[in-house]
Amino acid sequence: MGADADHAEALAARVAEAAARGEALRIEGSGSKAFYGHPVKGVPLDATVHRGVVAYEPSELYVTARAGTPLADLEALLAAHGQRLGCEPPRFGGRGTVGGMVAAGLSGPRRPWGGAVRDLVLGVRCVNGRGETLRFGGQVIKNVAGFDAARLMAGSLGTLALLLEVTLRVGPAPAAMRTLVLACTADEALERLAAWGRLPLPLTGACHLEGRLHLRLEGNEAAVDAAAARLGGTALDDAEAFWTGMRDHTLPFFAADDPRPLWRLSVPPAAPQPALPGDWLLDWGGAQRWLRSEVPAGTVRAAAEALGGHATRFRGGGEASVFHPLPPAARALHRRIKAAFDPAGILNPGRLYGPEGP
Amino acid sequence: METHLPEALRATPEGREMERVLRACVHCGFCNAACPTYQLLGDETDGPRGRIYLMKAALEAGRAGPATRRHLDRCLGCLACEATCPSGVRYGRLLELARPRIETLAPTPAPQRLLRWLVRRAFARRGRAAAALAAGRLLRPLLPPALRRTLPPRPGPVPPWPGPRHRRRVLLPAGCVQSAAAPAIDTATARLLDGLGLSAVRPEGDGGCCGALSHHLGATGEARALARRNVRAWLPYVEAGAPLVLTASGCAAHVRAYGELLADDPALADGARQVAAAVRDPVELLEPHAARLRPAAGAPRRIACHEPCTQRHALGLAGRLEALLARVGFETVPVPEPHLCCGSAGAWSLLHPRLAGRLRARKLERLTAGTPEAIATANIGCLLHLAAAAPVPVRHWLELVSAG
Amino acid sequence: MPGSGPRCPQSAHSKARTVDYVVNQKAPSTDARACLAALRKALPDDALLTEAEALRAYECDALSAYRALPLAVALPHDRAQVRAVLRIAREHAVPVVARGAGTGLSGGALPHPQGIVLSLARLDRILEIDPRNRTARVEPGVRNLAISEAARPYGLHYAPDPSSQIACTIGGNIAENAGGVHCLKHGLTVHNVLRIEAITLSGETLVAGGAGLDGPGYDLAALLTGSEGLLAVVVEATVRLLPLPESARVLLAAFATVEAAADAVAAIIAEGIVPAGLEMMDNPAIRAAEDFVHAGYPVEAAAILLCELDGAVAEVEAELARVRAVLERHGATEVRVARDEAERQRFWKGRKAAFPAVGRISPDYYCMDGTIPRREVGRVLARIAGLAREHGLRVVNVFHAGDGNLHPLILYDANAPGELERTEALGRRILELCVEVGGTVTGEHGVGVEKLDPMCRQFDEATLRQFHALREAFDPERLLNPGKAVPTLARCAEYNAMHVRAGRLPFPELERF
Repeated sequence: MGADADHAEALAARVAEAAARGEALRIEGSGSKAFYGHPVKGVPLDATVHRGVVAYEPSELYVTARAGTPLADLEALLAAHGQRLGCEPPRFGGRGTVGGMVAAGLSGPRRPWGGAVRDLVLGVRCVNGRGETLRFGGQVIKNVAGFDAARLMAGSLGTLALLLEVTLRVGPAPAAMRTLVLACTADEALERLAAWGRLPLPLTGACHLEGRLHLRLEGNEAAVDAAAARLGGTALDDAEAFWTGMRDHTLPFFAADDPRPLWRLSVPPAAPQPALPGDWLLDWGGAQRWLRSEVPAGTVRAAAEALGGHATRFRGGGEASVFHPLPPAARALHRRIKAAFDPAGILNPGRLYGPEGP
Repeated sequence: METHLPEALRATPEGREMERVLRACVHCGFCNAACPTYQLLGDETDGPRGRIYLMKAALEAGRAGPATRRHLDRCLGCLACEATCPSGVRYGRLLELARPRIETLAPTPAPQRLLRWLVRRAFARRGRAAAALAAGRLLRPLLPPALRRTLPPRPGPVPPWPGPRHRRRVLLPAGCVQSAAAPAIDTATARLLDGLGLSAVRPEGDGGCCGALSHHLGATGEARALARRNVRAWLPYVEAGAPLVLTASGCAAHVRAYGELLADDPALADGARQVAAAVRDPVELLEPHAARLRPAAGAPRRIACHEPCTQRHALGLAGRLEALLARVGFETVPVPEPHLCCGSAGAWSLLHPRLAGRLRARKLERLTAGTPEAIATANIGCLLHLAAAAPVPVRHWLELVSAG
Repeated sequence: MPGSGPRCPQSAHSKARTVDYVVNQKAPSTDARACLAALRKALPDDALLTEAEALRAYECDALSAYRALPLAVALPHDRAQVRAVLRIAREHAVPVVARGAGTGLSGGALPHPQGIVLSLARLDRILEIDPRNRTARVEPGVRNLAISEAARPYGLHYAPDPSSQIACTIGGNIAENAGGVHCLKHGLTVHNVLRIEAITLSGETLVAGGAGLDGPGYDLAALLTGSEGLLAVVVEATVRLLPLPESARVLLAAFATVEAAADAVAAIIAEGIVPAGLEMMDNPAIRAAEDFVHAGYPVEAAAILLCELDGAVAEVEAELARVRAVLERHGATEVRVARDEAERQRFWKGRKAAFPAVGRISPDYYCMDGTIPRREVGRVLARIAGLAREHGLRVVNVFHAGDGNLHPLILYDANAPGELERTEALGRRILELCVEVGGTVTGEHGVGVEKLDPMCRQFDEATLRQFHALREAFDPERLLNPGKAVPTLARCAEYNAMHVRAGRLPFPELERF
């Protein structure tokens, strides 16, 4: 437990000092996503000390929080005002900070309907690799002044800047929620979702595992009732536990003691299931597919690419690249973008693509 | 837009009118979305916003080159832009006023002038049109393929014109091309009106052509002369209360502008305005009688309706023909892009055959998307142009409807 | 003043500024002739314009107050020709300004006098509509509305609907991160684009995003969206299609004062409702729009709100009642619900045509685009009215009240000497006011050339330097749309110094050049 505190100046100074010395820094939040990406060799920098909600205007639909603010605290505050983050960010091990959420850019089951983390970022205050404190974006949803460096931070895993503060768009929490379960194969699930996807249904979750398709409906009571009648299936009693398990990877599928690597494939939602051996969990209506398998990395990646998507080795699997390899020109561009923010290369070097950077 | 016309020009009423139009334009670019040539060619100067800009530049500088003339010539005159413009820019009027001045600055080269003269000579009179088409049929094998396709077949026998038995009269002038190429249209119209208690009358002594062709080819003197003859011949009927019905929407649109065309003619200005006000497109005339109309015996039921630009934009009747046909009992298939010209545009298709062909192909694709048995239209120009390449019959809608 | 050279008709000072930002830092290319010769060889005849008469129509976009004749205009037919143009431009150090439909309101497509305008209008094919994955793959010259029209038969549509949607292109939408009436609920362009293929100046094809909902590495799709043609030229986009809502209903509410309408807007959002659209128009705008569309707008009202709710039938009906209650609580003198789809379309048509419809009541208008927190709308509108009186100009308001994106339209007469300058001055004051109350100088139209000065007030030096560094990662030679979107530090130092002379010194702690 920590108390709210403003350490912006100290953090900026620390980064500036590290830049001057050419000393690599390993930015640390709550450690809930330390496994994600490549290991970083650097002096730890504790970003959790800088925490607290700075501004919250429910009627203006935004909240500004310091990066070290625990997600649990932020979401409790929003819930108390009948609001929430549309991206449903994961809390692995029950932990997670606002800064870590943005830096990792991981969204929960509601992503296709509620938006990704990056969709909800309205602005950031951050420290670049020179130790300069910069402000990108703002607090209003419509803002095209300057390049969208705020949204660029999402998923950059701390390699471009140290986040100090993030302004996020928030929205009303729905009046009613219902989850339906239908028994079917993965292929059948994809077919049905392709058809239902064109209908104006109040869907906010669609995942398939172990022969069962779970559909979450959210909205006003009447709309949810009408949709439920249309879709059929049986109601799931402890729905919230299920979706939290999906979000935080506490379902048995994600068990830590499973020796097989956990792959994440990002593909078009209606793409046919790749013929890869292993266990599958389809999320995001088919657009995010989890695979537990020993199949070689090249095979998984080729399968994802064949569908126009990409594959991430989310957990386990050794030294091979975590994220989907980039073509040489794109890789070079990534390095130049990194250098534009962090010329000395001190911020989480190699977190994304290993020693060759960024 | 900021506009600085030379003083000499601003001293004339026409100059001031052009300036008003130019200043109304805010250069927003909405009009390009509706313009067929811009959609085809993707060049700003082949869209109304760019054409307005070219005219502005030429009038301001007192200079214009062949490029300006070419881009203005490429304008179909469909007026889809006017219908789309939120600022109320009278593009058609600007073009009409600016053209003669631009012609002085950048004269049409001789070969093109000759071609336009030939077109007028060949078609802008009833008798001449018939002769031209007959000659065309004789010389068919020698004609270029595009013209050969457009040449309509010799018209078949035409049932008799009904006698003038009703008191209520409708004036139905014969015109030029349609009466030569497809005389059955007006006869069918007369018989239809007869069934509704109206007698269609062919006026004597008119010009034999409404003058649209001459006007759009820049022969303003000839156009006004024809208009005068027509006004003199038609005015007595109009004053007696007869509506003036022109079954080719292109003609109807032009005659509706007779008031402006002869505004400075002291003897005929009033008459011209009266004649113009009496114009009724057949759709307007027949809508009140819709309950008594039905598809004619043997007429195809599943049709695609092609509303000519002149009917949609100049006459302001977009959607009305299709709605009327649906009420009458036809199954009208949905037609995307109804505002986009078919490429006929009077003599334009003869002067820009390749572009006209491309527009026609695009239009036919849209019209046949719903697999109709036939295409129904309301203008002889569209009809002949589409029929040259359509995979289904193209008919004038008045031939498909009867009164019961 | 007849003539055929570049025209920037302003006072000496602002004339200098207009020219100033389009001049590249490097000396302009003396190799123009060689560049043109190379382009002529690489492109078909109809794809290159070099005669002044033809170039004139490209000297501006919809912000016709700023004009400059380019060296040439390239109108490629396909991607290979686009790549060739970029390659040749780079070889000869000639700037390139990309252009879509030229409907932009910030001068983003204003040519560089020594540069080429690269029109993407001919890359206008819809390549694929995929109803199962709910995407459309299109070329950059495809019109925004054309995407929705093509998707309609499948029960789908492309949600971002800028008011110029009948004419504007998706490539331009991406460059500006266009918004529109329905973006509050359904997102901006950045929320609705999944994948972008773009060519950089070095000739490489960049793929940003992926066929799924994200792509590997940095979020380049987010970065390219809103980059105003400075980073790369878009040659293909895959956009997200949403189901057409089961029900869409629009309320029209009339108010006796602008403040009451503004308060109602904040109250609707505070109620926890996210409308599909929430727009405001003040009296002169209402009249001008009504003149064009005949939708039945109440022409006596001081302001009207158009509030659209979409979703499931039951949901919409419930929200309709709640919104009506809020409107009445805030003094709406009249609340009407569109009776049918046709009337709903008419209500929106008037709003979407409102800017150019203002052309009926004024020879010219200058459209501002500042965005502010919703709660400030009433206060800011009152202050704008005051500023307008100070400058002796009329201001009309038509805007996205739901997301605080104002569009004050300053009415002026371009023919009247000095009026454009006064208009620009008023515009700058309005944008600075937006920044003062915690907003931004541009919500959706982009910075272009128009808002370079106010950018100096919104961002500090370090951030501007970071923007330039980021830009150079893509385009080290700074040949893509140079001088737009992000002001140079020199310009800001000079601009802020002017404010010192006027007695105000922003960011006193920062060093100056």
